[in-house]
Amino acid sequence: MTTPVTEALASEGARRIAWAGRGMLALWEIADRQASEGSLRGLRVGIANVLEPKTANLALALTRAGADVSVHAGAAETMPSVANALSEMGVSVFADMTGDEASDLAAARAFLEWRPQILIDDGALLIRLAHAEFPELLPTMMGAAEVTTSGVRPLRQMATEGALGVPVIAINDAPTKHLFDNVYGTGQSCVMALLDVTNLQLAGRIVVVLGYGYVGKGVARNAAALGARVVVCELDPVKALQAHYDGCRVSTLADIARRAEVVFASTGVPGALTPDHIALLKDGAILCTPGGGAYELPMDHLRKHGTRTDVRPHVADYQLPDGKHVLVIAEGDWINLMAAEGNPIEVMDLSMSVQSLAAEAIAIGFKGHAPGVYRLPSEMEETIARIRIAHENASIEELTPELEAAMRSW
Amino acid sequence: MSGDENSGQAQIAWVQRHSPVLDEFVRGKLSDGALKGVKVAVVVHLEAKTAFLATILADAGADVVIAGSNPRTTNGAVVEALRGRGLDVVSEASGTHETWEQELLAAADREPELVIDDGAELTLRMAKFRPNLFQKLRGVSEETTTGTARLRSMHAEGQLPFGALTANDARCKMLFDNRFGTGQTTIQAFLRLTNRQIGGARFVVIGYGAVGRGIAQYARALGAVTGVVETDPVRALEAHMDGHEVGPTSAVLPGATAVITATGGIRAIGAAELEFLTDDVVLANAGHHDLEIDVDALAARASSEGPARTGITTYRVDDRDIHVLTNGALVNIAGGSGHPIEIMDLTFAVQGLGAHYLATNTLTPGVHVLPKELDDAIAAAKLRSLGIVLDDVKPDQYDDIREWTDGGSQG
Repeated sequence: MTTPVTEALASEGARRIAWAGRGMLALWEIADRQASEGSLRGLRVGIANVLEPKTANLALALTRAGADVSVHAGAAETMPSVANALSEMGVSVFADMTGDEASDLAAARAFLEWRPQILIDDGALLIRLAHAEFPELLPTMMGAAEVTTSGVRPLRQMATEGALGVPVIAINDAPTKHLFDNVYGTGQSCVMALLDVTNLQLAGRIVVVLGYGYVGKGVARNAAALGARVVVCELDPVKALQAHYDGCRVSTLADIARRAEVVFASTGVPGALTPDHIALLKDGAILCTPGGGAYELPMDHLRKHGTRTDVRPHVADYQLPDGKHVLVIAEGDWINLMAAEGNPIEVMDLSMSVQSLAAEAIAIGFKGHAPGVYRLPSEMEETIARIRIAHENASIEELTPELEAAMRSW
Repeated sequence: MSGDENSGQAQIAWVQRHSPVLDEFVRGKLSDGALKGVKVAVVVHLEAKTAFLATILADAGADVVIAGSNPRTTNGAVVEALRGRGLDVVSEASGTHETWEQELLAAADREPELVIDDGAELTLRMAKFRPNLFQKLRGVSEETTTGTARLRSMHAEGQLPFGALTANDARCKMLFDNRFGTGQTTIQAFLRLTNRQIGGARFVVIGYGAVGRGIAQYARALGAVTGVVETDPVRALEAHMDGHEVGPTSAVLPGATAVITATGGIRAIGAAELEFLTDDVVLANAGHHDLEIDVDALAARASSEGPARTGITTYRVDDRDIHVLTNGALVNIAGGSGHPIEIMDLTFAVQGLGAHYLATNTLTPGVHVLPKELDDAIAAAKLRSLGIVLDDVKPDQYDDIREWTDGGSQG
């Protein structure tokens, strides 16, 4: 297995792409199969996602499979060295690296005007833009794939209202994505980013995790491994009980806020932490979000009432009128993307593989599907885990006829 | 004020915010004037936490000179900030081994009475190159395991004319800095430099002292499968009972995705061990020496070498790619931001009190440990800052051995 860029390379961006490629074994093995089968050959595949080395590998893997690939990202989500390197390797890049919101929108429009037949989206921004501004494109599209949980939500709503014009595969519904990326990837990368940004310990600290979904679970596990005393706040009694059995304390935020030293808001819901909670928080508490976005935190309240000081890169200190300090990492945006390098390579191999298989599923089977939200067929997904298990020098049991019969008997 | 100086001051202020022991307890102990006018050389990795210790000593009236203990770990912004506060810094960032030697000699030529040393780097050089000034030294407080071993060797050879303290052997240093500090930050730097995942990775640690144990403990807690190589049978047994796979390099290295050296010696990975490494393995060093991974032997054996990304060099050996982080320098410092602040608050409290103890006591030549009551007082101060209260020992908790020796209870 070789990526197109394993040789010593002149540019930092190309080297970063090559380094990530070393760990993305499933993605490249799948690309080789797709290339020989030709299912993606000649199709225009557009990827709208954070433009960093792992996304670059997806673009290059789909190129290897024979697709004509382009990538779009906003200026804030684009690593210029990677974008330049990708461009030099023949992938069309629609990103204005020095731009603002207006130029991001212009780049997004240009990307859609390139008429992708298959669109891989992150947050459903481009799918929605296509519906709003380029409805004539929809009949020419074979389908789309949406990576995130928060992006699938509006698409289901559109489907319910009969407003969705293309079939969409919900990437996050694939177990190979949410059981791994969200738990191991986001958990590790967010907790480690906090350590890197602050130069502090978690050992002995009270770390509050808001929301015990897959991301919250991963954050809690990694924080506990580093010695934190983890307290989980949940609405859902089943998830709360699970947190309890995982060894976390379970509490309302109002009850624990006075002792909270670090808060990870991982609910994906706006307003999870309110100005009332801010009033209760321990002086010097650190707030950040590993998943959804700054909307989980009362940033408007902090900006309006607090005096802001940049204390070190990615760390802002908001001092409130009563003298209390509240520290916010990366202005409340995803800590692992804004203040670090995103999720680890191995776990993104799984997520990117799901995306490349989704493109393939759309290419071979979704032409006739009615608009709606679909899952990736589980037999396709299973190949990803099989490839990685083999590469990890692990082996799994074979299903014997006896076992198969035993499992079917009733 | 330059941008660098501003940034350096902000870094030091952040350290102060999270260093209650140094800022309150140690500052208080040092305010008795014992260090007034005493020339103290601080020779530790020159970054924001060391800088804060230096300011505490200076605030106590000491005449401080500061040098970096490794040419690759000096932070330029912090140097500017210290100079901006009027402190004497002899080191520059981005120096070479040659300029570093000159810097250490410049620190020696300031004629320090006390040295807070790391790896005994200044002490060794003063003994060798400045014998007259060395004779005038009143004491040394040493930071590391490696430096403590060096001082003990000097004493064994009759070459240590003064009393030295090993901060390393104080419980408030060894139990926390070596294990939790190096453990956490080595893994942290490894992951940051590589963007790799730890869950399911196979981490091998060479050397199961306090540092190796901390690394193995954190790696496993974060989801890695762990292996340990150790030559000391007691430590190896400890590693086994801690649940790590234990064996010789020939058995434990093959299949490792990461190998971390933590022996405190040199050539833990030399020419012979290279043969046991699997393609795509990442090597990193957590010990004091830049020589634990024999990078020269690796380069000699490799058909090509080149940068993989920042902080990573890839060597091609036969059909295997072997990656080395930060050229084998201490990965948590050269490739990260060093120890967590809270840990260094404890370690530098030991060093600060050590300097004070050396200034107020005359020790016999040899290597001593900070008195237990001072060590305990540091932990007590840390607990106080956390609002943690302890029980006192009750008199009836003691096993009264006198009842037996006096025969009283049998009567």
